[in-house]
Amino acid sequence: MEEHVRSTGHHSPNLSTKSCGYETLSSNALVRMRALIINPSTPDSTISSAFDTLAHSLQLNCSNKLVVRHILKLLHDLASHHTRFSRLVFDSVRSHSLLSTESVRVAVEALDVVASVAERDGALVPALDELDDGFFAALCFSPSVSVRPWLLRNAERLHVRPYLLFTLFLGFTKDPHPYVRKAALDGLAGLSRSSVIDDQCMIRDAIPVSPSFYATWKIVASIFVVISSFVLLCSMTRDMSMEVRVEVFNSLGKIEMVSEDILLQTMSKKVLGISKGKLQFEELASSAAGTFVHGLEDEFHEVRKSACHSLRTLTTLSAKFSVEVLNLLIDVLNDDSMVVRLQALETLLHMATSDCLKVQETHMHTLLGSLVDKNSSIRSATRKILKLVKLPVFKLFKFTVDALLENLETSPQDEADVFSILFHIGRNHGKFVDCIIQDVYQQVEPTSEGKLVFDSSRVVALLVLAISAPLSHEYNCNIPPTMFSYAVTFLGRISYALRDAMSQNSLLDYLTLCSRSTGFSAIQFREDQPCLYSSKGNLPHNSTDETIGSFAMTLQEKRDGNADIQSSIREGSSKVATSLVKYQLEVHDEVVKPMNAILAKVKDIWRLVQSGYIYEVLKNLRSFREELETFTPELLAPAGVLSFTLQYLKTIKMLVKVWGHFLPPKYLSSCRMGTLDLLLEKLDRRLRDLRTRFIGLSKEEELHVLELILITCTLKLSKVEICCKLGTVRKLCSTMSQVESLLKEGSIEPSKFVIEVGNLSSEICSSLDGDSSDPFLYRRLLDFFSLQQFVFCGGIRHIKAELHVPGNDFENPIRFVSRLPVGIPCQITLHNILNESRLWLRMRMDELSTQFLFLDLNLFKGFDAIRRFPFLAPFYRTPKAISFSLRLCIGMECLFEDVQFVKRRWGPKHELTYLCQEKEVYFSTVSKG
Amino acid sequence: MAIDCLVLGAGQEVGKSCVIASINDKRIMFDCGMHMGHVDHRRYPDFSRIPRPQGTGFDRAIDCIIITHFHLDHVGALPYFTEVCGYGGPIYMTYPTKALAPLMLEDYRKVMVERRGEEEQFTADHIVECMKKVIPVDLKQTVQVDKDLQIRAYYAGHVLGAAMFYAKVGDTAIVYTGDYNMTPDRHLGAAQIDRLHLDLLITESTYATTIRDSKYGREREFLKAVHKCIGGGGKVLIPTFALGRAQELCILLEDYWERMNLKVPIYFSAGLTIQANMYYKMLISWTSQKIKETYSTRNAFDFKYVTNFDRSMIDAPGPCVLFATPGMIIGGFSLEVFKHWAPAEKNLITLPGYCGVGTIGHKLMSGKPTKIDLDKDTQIDVRCQIHQLSFSPHTDAKGIMDLVKFLSPKNIILVHGEKPKIAILKGRIKSELGIPCYDPANNETVSIPSTHYVKAVASDTFIRSCSHPNFKFSKSSMEDGHGSSFKLGNSAPQLQVSDERVAEGILVIEKSKKAKVLHQEELLQMLGEKENKVQFAYCCPVRIGNLEETKSTDITSTNDKLSMTDGSLWLQILFARLSDEFSGGNIQDFGEHLQVESFRMSTCLKETCPYRIDETLQGNRSELVFFCCTWSVADEKIAQRIISILKNFGSSAVKRNSLVPIG
Repeated sequence: MEEHVRSTGHHSPNLSTKSCGYETLSSNALVRMRALIINPSTPDSTISSAFDTLAHSLQLNCSNKLVVRHILKLLHDLASHHTRFSRLVFDSVRSHSLLSTESVRVAVEALDVVASVAERDGALVPALDELDDGFFAALCFSPSVSVRPWLLRNAERLHVRPYLLFTLFLGFTKDPHPYVRKAALDGLAGLSRSSVIDDQCMIRDAIPVSPSFYATWKIVASIFVVISSFVLLCSMTRDMSMEVRVEVFNSLGKIEMVSEDILLQTMSKKVLGISKGKLQFEELASSAAGTFVHGLEDEFHEVRKSACHSLRTLTTLSAKFSVEVLNLLIDVLNDDSMVVRLQALETLLHMATSDCLKVQETHMHTLLGSLVDKNSSIRSATRKILKLVKLPVFKLFKFTVDALLENLETSPQDEADVFSILFHIGRNHGKFVDCIIQDVYQQVEPTSEGKLVFDSSRVVALLVLAISAPLSHEYNCNIPPTMFSYAVTFLGRISYALRDAMSQNSLLDYLTLCSRSTGFSAIQFREDQPCLYSSKGNLPHNSTDETIGSFAMTLQEKRDGNADIQSSIREGSSKVATSLVKYQLEVHDEVVKPMNAILAKVKDIWRLVQSGYIYEVLKNLRSFREELETFTPELLAPAGVLSFTLQYLKTIKMLVKVWGHFLPPKYLSSCRMGTLDLLLEKLDRRLRDLRTRFIGLSKEEELHVLELILITCTLKLSKVEICCKLGTVRKLCSTMSQVESLLKEGSIEPSKFVIEVGNLSSEICSSLDGDSSDPFLYRRLLDFFSLQQFVFCGGIRHIKAELHVPGNDFENPIRFVSRLPVGIPCQITLHNILNESRLWLRMRMDELSTQFLFLDLNLFKGFDAIRRFPFLAPFYRTPKAISFSLRLCIGMECLFEDVQFVKRRWGPKHELTYLCQEKEVYFSTVSKG
Repeated sequence: MAIDCLVLGAGQEVGKSCVIASINDKRIMFDCGMHMGHVDHRRYPDFSRIPRPQGTGFDRAIDCIIITHFHLDHVGALPYFTEVCGYGGPIYMTYPTKALAPLMLEDYRKVMVERRGEEEQFTADHIVECMKKVIPVDLKQTVQVDKDLQIRAYYAGHVLGAAMFYAKVGDTAIVYTGDYNMTPDRHLGAAQIDRLHLDLLITESTYATTIRDSKYGREREFLKAVHKCIGGGGKVLIPTFALGRAQELCILLEDYWERMNLKVPIYFSAGLTIQANMYYKMLISWTSQKIKETYSTRNAFDFKYVTNFDRSMIDAPGPCVLFATPGMIIGGFSLEVFKHWAPAEKNLITLPGYCGVGTIGHKLMSGKPTKIDLDKDTQIDVRCQIHQLSFSPHTDAKGIMDLVKFLSPKNIILVHGEKPKIAILKGRIKSELGIPCYDPANNETVSIPSTHYVKAVASDTFIRSCSHPNFKFSKSSMEDGHGSSFKLGNSAPQLQVSDERVAEGILVIEKSKKAKVLHQEELLQMLGEKENKVQFAYCCPVRIGNLEETKSTDITSTNDKLSMTDGSLWLQILFARLSDEFSGGNIQDFGEHLQVESFRMSTCLKETCPYRIDETLQGNRSELVFFCCTWSVADEKIAQRIISILKNFGSSAVKRNSLVPIG
């Protein structure tokens, strides 16, 4: 024995000479042999003799399981490192150890070796096919439970005949061991997917309907999807487990072939007496009955949502069914959960895009009701549907327009979107627009005193509707041209709303043209630009801008050529219109232009930052700020722009300071101010303010803010010593996904920095493991960053609050009784708060004791840009002291910041942005005297 | 051991729910309700029928009382039973039920005594005393009532605190549902229960034949009716019981009011209802998922638009919505308001989904009467509109079937429903699900066998044999495939897989030892016996004449008479013949004998073979050759066929064929 080992150690070629000393190989010998095998420079002769030794001992050692398993492993290595031997290994393993079924484990390992050798060497596959299937079956039937799942999982690798496999899989679905059942079900799923089995009814009937655990259950659902067994899935929807129900509905949505009868049955709890009248059909029907009715009125909104979602694909299968679905979904719009309502609307939108949404009068009431919903996403989803809906009669159109106007009244922040929808539906229903405009013309006309009541957004909305009419293909113009002139006066607002459809210039051209005369015939347009009229529905509108622009041009030419006289008559009015527009733009520009100029300068200073002139840059920024402070605008919209710019400058200042810490050491001279941690924290806060305290940001502006957040995250991550890395990575990823969704919608080009971050984040976010990220990766990203310039479009509004406690100061404290609650009479003023935002009143006595109080906006009715109301805030934990003071502050939950979930039992669930200065309130005990 | 169910109330009717279930000598009373439609002795369950030992009270007769929820038809007779009849044992109900039941009882007592001037059945003190005996339970909390009896409550929907109760004695388990709802509503969730192994399910069946459509449609209709009425300046009267529908409808209306920005006042009739709302606020964990979720920001029961109603406002002008108790307009305030409002056409009365027979609500529902007689003297003109709410806290027929399918108990008893409807549902359950189902009338008893499990030890060999796969495929026929069979179009027989490894064992119960499960092979060893095999033997005569012919044609051999050496020769001839004629198996020639499976045949040379039956043999004995045949039971058929072939060799075949077992 010893001699033998030594000889292998010395590459001795006489390994092949067999002697009677080979009875067993010691583990030492095996280890050495392995070293020889995996060494690529071992000569072939040695390998060959090693193989002989192994093959021989395989025959001898059948009884010693441990050794045999080692040998098998070695043979496997040998075959994988020296492919020339694979055939030999294959034959030897197949002929020897497979026959020894004394140990099932060894047999299974031998099978594994054979299979993996064959996988590497295609020529051996036929030989693998020759393996006896009976042998495989025998292994499966052996009492060793542990090998069974392996065998079932690897059956396909071993080229077992499908029919045998099918039987085995079916059989093992009843195995008492759950993991064997799972493997069998997996196998079945695979088989049915590869359509090996023709008789899928067999599977359907044999699969257990109530498997014991959830994972198995999911596979069953997927098998049912594969074999399109809609009814079986339906029968599972009444399960008591919420997760199962959700999963079933998810699966139901994947089935693409269902008979119409069954589909209709799912919408009715009663068993429908559909023609067939067979016993079988009744059974089917009773298990499918009311599946969706139950699903949509489930207690859990997760299930209801899933049911709504699954209807999306199914509605396209049958027209009759889609009518039923519409009836039910419209009712779902009364659901108490916002998520479900939203999903129902999305399903309706899907139906509308696939052209199976036939809205009737009975539906309109509820559908339009969603336009006054408290939640903005519901309103916007509803509007998206309305954009596509074809309204058959004037009455419905009138309803719709009225509802949109109401929407505008209740939630003015939707203005842009409402205008855009009005424009679209006006284009789709030109004739009806005509009728409406005739009715409401007086509303738009100047009042008797000659004053225009143009401040009402309702009028603007009607103007938008009016100007959409000429673009309709059913238009035979009766819109008074003055309408177009009036519309010109709102050019800024309208063009902002229609920015998806056309640019400001082309809109102006279009309006000026139309205002010159009546009686453009639609045919004229159509001759020139047929493509315009085909653009309807969800088609991207990027192209429309040019289309309208060029169409206006051609129109102009035509007019110049054909109708000189008419145009000359109208010229006067058009001039008025144009000058009006100019004036309006000027007013707006008075504020916005300097802002834009400042923004441009800010962009330019970035180069200075990169060259290390931090001081100079800060000085510049200060001067910009001073410049800004000279503005005292009273107008509402520019005020928002002003505060945004101020906030923006503050943010940039912070960013510049932070950047100073990241400059190469050669710029060290130009000082580093403040500790980095503090600076970063401040920067975070500024950015959060920028992100959450302004509404009406355009996509471009929003993108810019997001980019600033991205760079902050990158800065943090590129410092090794910064803590809470994981949180930062998460934030980076979530911000990136927001950026991506923004980019998806619009036509904005992402900056190089954004692209690079996107590339990186797709890798990191998948793992979400803070440790793995390399600071240098992030540092590299910094080079790509430079400040982008953006232009204000206007329409930014600043969210802020004012808080007063009248008559309270240090001298006049509020009286309280220790340990009893005390009411604080506050006077609260809110600016531009959306109805859905969640406000909290923070009452801080000291660092330890803070109380949050939810401000239910519903209690303070109505939406106005400015809301002012008194509020009696109770403070419960009055201390045992003669006097104390509280700091009050109003905060708003940042719904974006879902990353930093604050775990608190009571109080806000998200980070708060504070909308006002802290207000100190003083208390003293009621004196006994 | 058996389950005996004595139905004291709600048998083939709705009202006074009360079922006495005796499970393996433990006796549980489920619910103790009263009938709202009767004022005589029929009002209460007939407690005297409860079997009890001579001269003892109910304490001995009943182990515990379980109350499912606080409705009077489930709890109304409880103070009477405990205080007047003198039951002192434990009473179980959920926390909300314990909180709300006394309110209901007291309210009812007041109405009966003070308004109707009836003799009171129990006093306010009785109610207080009765409630002291109550042990509250939580959902899914297993309560050990005594050594053998275990109970557990499951969420039932229906009303706040309603529960289904699971009771287990030994291995026997039953569920009593009380009233339940399988679909959630605005404020309560759907019933929820585990998959249990049940011997009996006692379920309510108020809507045994009704199948309701989506609740969304019902909500829309209700809102539309109310909106139309108040739009026309009318008053809406919603008579409800204080707890339950009132809160649900109120949540619905509030939601609508807010959406539509309506200003019309909503009133609650005084007292009980406001107090009830307070309870709802406290018992928030018993409400639906949605209300629980939103609780952190706003309690859904803090109604914004609701104010108290004062009696003086009945005739005040202007539209309003009023919730008034009691429901079904059985009296009290709702009746008073009804008297005032019913004559005006613009007003609206909404009626609940179910009104008991004999109530005014029931009269209004059946047709549209123009006049209603209150009593001998008063008559009311009914001109107002009537809207029937199909809101109901009860599950519909589909819900019952769904629950039954989910639990698949061994037996079902239907209670709490009208007789003809229950009968239809009973038929459906029997035919569709194949579960035995009963619908006893009041005071009838149903007996059901109960389950008894025996613990057994399993031997090692048995366990090892269990890990061998042992599945079988079978094609089941149509008859037994109820419920679970799904066939689309084609009528291919169903393939069923079964892998019942346990069935392969042998259960051995020795005296005074634990039961044991063995593998087949172990049995003999354990019993210390040898294996016995039953074998059959028959010595069959074959007429040589025929064989001679064969012999002369087939084999050229001696013409000698039968001799010792000829024995194997005859066999060979027979072998040749049999191979021709016999097709059922493989015939093997072993020289001395022929063999097919376990069938052996050899020449018999004995003069008197014990297996020879020669009484019928006639003629020349020398023409006969005897062949001794043996075979085991399994191969009986093969043996019969071979012997018949042998006999056909001769014309004088043996008619009778008697077999003698050996060994």
